[in-house]
Amino acid sequence: MSFKTKDVVLSQTRPTTLLLQKHADYLASYGLNKDDFEYCMTEYLRMSGIYWSLTAMELMDQSSRMPKDDIIEFISLCQDSESGGISASNGHDPHMLYTLSAVQVLAMYDRSDAINIDGVVKFVVSLQQDDGSFFGDKWGEVDTRFSFCAVMTLSLLHRLDAINVNRAVDFVLSCMNFDGGFGSKPGSESHAGLIYCCVGTLSICKRMDALKVDELAWWLCERQLPSGGLNGRPEKLPDLCYSWWVMASLSMLNRIHWVDQEKLEQYILACQDSETGGFSDRPGDITDPFHTLFGLAGLSLLGNSSIKQVNPTYCMPQETIDRLRLEPQILLI
Amino acid sequence: MHGRLKVRTSEEEKVKKEKERQEKLKVFKHAMNVIQNKRKKCELDTEQLDVTGQVLTKNPDIYTLWNIRREILIVFRSNLSVMEMTKLYDAELSLTEYCLKINPKSYCAWHQREWVLMTRSDPDWQKELALCNTYLKLDERNFHTWDYRRFVVSQCKPDLQEEFNYTTEKLHDNFSNYSAWHYRSKMLLHLFPDKKGGRPIQDSHYKQELKMVLSAAFTDPDDTSAWFYQRWLLGAVKNITQIVVCTVTPSKVTIAINNSVSKSYIKEKIKVIINNHEVIGEWKSCLGNEYDDLWVLNHDQSIRNHLDIKVKHILVDNEMEVMRLSELKPAIYVGRNKISFQNKYSSTVLDELNEQLDACRQLLELEPDNRWTLLTTAFFLHCVDAKAYHKEIIDIISTLINIDEQRAGYYSDLKSKWCMEDNIQENYANLSLDYKVECKKLSSLPHLQYYSFCEALDLSNQNLTSRVLPGLIKLQHCKKLNLSNNKLTSLQGFPYLTLEELNITDNPLIENHVEQLRKKLKNTKIFF
Ligand SMILES: [Zn+2]
Repeated sequence: MSFKTKDVVLSQTRPTTLLLQKHADYLASYGLNKDDFEYCMTEYLRMSGIYWSLTAMELMDQSSRMPKDDIIEFISLCQDSESGGISASNGHDPHMLYTLSAVQVLAMYDRSDAINIDGVVKFVVSLQQDDGSFFGDKWGEVDTRFSFCAVMTLSLLHRLDAINVNRAVDFVLSCMNFDGGFGSKPGSESHAGLIYCCVGTLSICKRMDALKVDELAWWLCERQLPSGGLNGRPEKLPDLCYSWWVMASLSMLNRIHWVDQEKLEQYILACQDSETGGFSDRPGDITDPFHTLFGLAGLSLLGNSSIKQVNPTYCMPQETIDRLRLEPQILLI
Repeated sequence: MHGRLKVRTSEEEKVKKEKERQEKLKVFKHAMNVIQNKRKKCELDTEQLDVTGQVLTKNPDIYTLWNIRREILIVFRSNLSVMEMTKLYDAELSLTEYCLKINPKSYCAWHQREWVLMTRSDPDWQKELALCNTYLKLDERNFHTWDYRRFVVSQCKPDLQEEFNYTTEKLHDNFSNYSAWHYRSKMLLHLFPDKKGGRPIQDSHYKQELKMVLSAAFTDPDDTSAWFYQRWLLGAVKNITQIVVCTVTPSKVTIAINNSVSKSYIKEKIKVIINNHEVIGEWKSCLGNEYDDLWVLNHDQSIRNHLDIKVKHILVDNEMEVMRLSELKPAIYVGRNKISFQNKYSSTVLDELNEQLDACRQLLELEPDNRWTLLTTAFFLHCVDAKAYHKEIIDIISTLINIDEQRAGYYSDLKSKWCMEDNIQENYANLSLDYKVECKKLSSLPHLQYYSFCEALDLSNQNLTSRVLPGLIKLQHCKKLNLSNNKLTSLQGFPYLTLEELNITDNPLIENHVEQLRKKLKNTKIFF
């Protein structure tokens, strides 16, 4: 059996410059047609959709094109008065994922007053378990993504002390694997997205010392394929969103220079759609707001000066993190 | 959205497709309306099960719909017979199976399956394990299926040796099955820990695993999975927390440790004793964190000449290590430990490493530019005897910097780390307060806490970039620092140090940055 690396080839006709205005136009018009099929079918993650679009617009300095008042009103309506949690959309149930997205959006707007903060804190606290892990909602799914959601939500509200931080850290560390990476729960395989969540949790809780840095960062830089793109696990295809998960993790580890940044930039730019605007997972695929944010945020980490500086831990504009006086930990090298 | 290719279609086709989609959307919106209305009216009934089921078969990620189904099943449970419930639970499992066929990565569908099995009184775990086997045949890397397998195993508790054998089987099918290597690492730690020796794995199994990796790697050296497993095996050695150096001066006491420890560890396990009196005071992490490898104690003792200073360290097995400090200069006391960065293996394992090293060298003769074989050879050399092979190791890493440009940054930092380790061991052999780091072209400064006691450190003529500056905070006793002829482009992040002299000549710096640093380090003579 002969081994062949899974990868893509970048075409000669790919975009090689940043089509900033196209992306802003794409996001500004996304969801204007309320009968758009794609838009309707993704209602169950609407709150995160708003976070992706708004953050991308913020990074492009065009957030004024987003309907601010409508968004804030929508978020208020999505808070569940009983549990305090926030749902993806009207008629859906509160969940950790959407609670975080809502809090991130309000942090960017500096409008945390639009929700009941004590309610959010109560919701997050109620989901922490004895082993330090977090449920996503009352139905009991455990995942390190929810640990990250919990500490990020609370730190944005300056209420991190409401949970047992040491236990939250211990749980995340119990998910560390032989390769230094992390999975979704103890025993789960390492995955770049979950590594980002776990490293992010440790960055907010200032416990980056507990990482096996050399092993982890090596595993992360080995995600880069000959095309310049990054995959999320060994022997998988590249995907644009991993340029965020991997590069944000490497930024927190202070080892962003372990990948070829020029080649990665070429891959990210190749994922733009020059007709519709927006970014997709791989060159030639259909674009969406999720990959558009992570394309732009990835370019920001690479130092692209036409995009605002992004904070690697929070995936929000650095200016917002500075305004909130948050100082997530970055390792020394 | 993942893996959806944009296809060019004619206008006609577009119109047709849009019409189809609007039809689908109408059905979807109607169903969602029905569901929401029924929910508002608290109608937890079979009709609601039917409608939510219909929507979920097409969109298994609408989490709220699964919540509704659970609410209904919970209500039914208190009214229906066991037989009737069994039927409903079976139907629920079929629904999740159907959904997983559409989207094998649906978190919601997998979680629903777990919920059903944990809720019903008659779960058939063997059937679930068989289902995992089937799914892993279809996609051997789906991490949801592997997670589900671990869940099932945690419930039905089969002999873990069987699970270990399963990974062997999977790996013999395909050595590049990283998920199987991962699961194997977990099983290995469970089944064969070396409890007596304090090592992660028993020697006999350690050796066996190394052999397995080598046969995988020789099948195809470009298949990366086995190499990660091998790297882990090589690093799986006993690790002991050790004091590296303790420094006492009239202004402060510092203690450097080989790895990060908590504040309470320092407080409880380490005592500094001056003329038989324990120094009392609050330990502060050098970086201001709860865990650190350099701790600072600001004290109010008067530190004079000819004091008797020692540090006591309570070790894991309650043994006590005592280190005496010597007065290197009037009122400057330093105590250093015997240090080593060499991994220690048993002779059985060492023999195996040497054998594999030979195999790698043979492989390199056939394929001198294979990056995996090169890197592995360097690691074997480092594990066997880092000091004796230092030059050969550094030559290999230098080759890798050239042939694997994408990861040149990684190799440079790896080279820096190994050079620093070599240099520190040399420096620790002669007692002084003034050192020059004799490495060539360092790109990073690992283990800097080992130099925390120095008064003068020469880091000139390296490849240091501004990235390393915040780390200089570890040089807590430094008075003269030489960073000339490096690649510093900015001085932002330069820490507050009580330096007398700082040399930053021959760096691509902007004057403006130097001015800002002058304001920060008011009492430092800066050579620019
Ligand atoms: Zn993606």
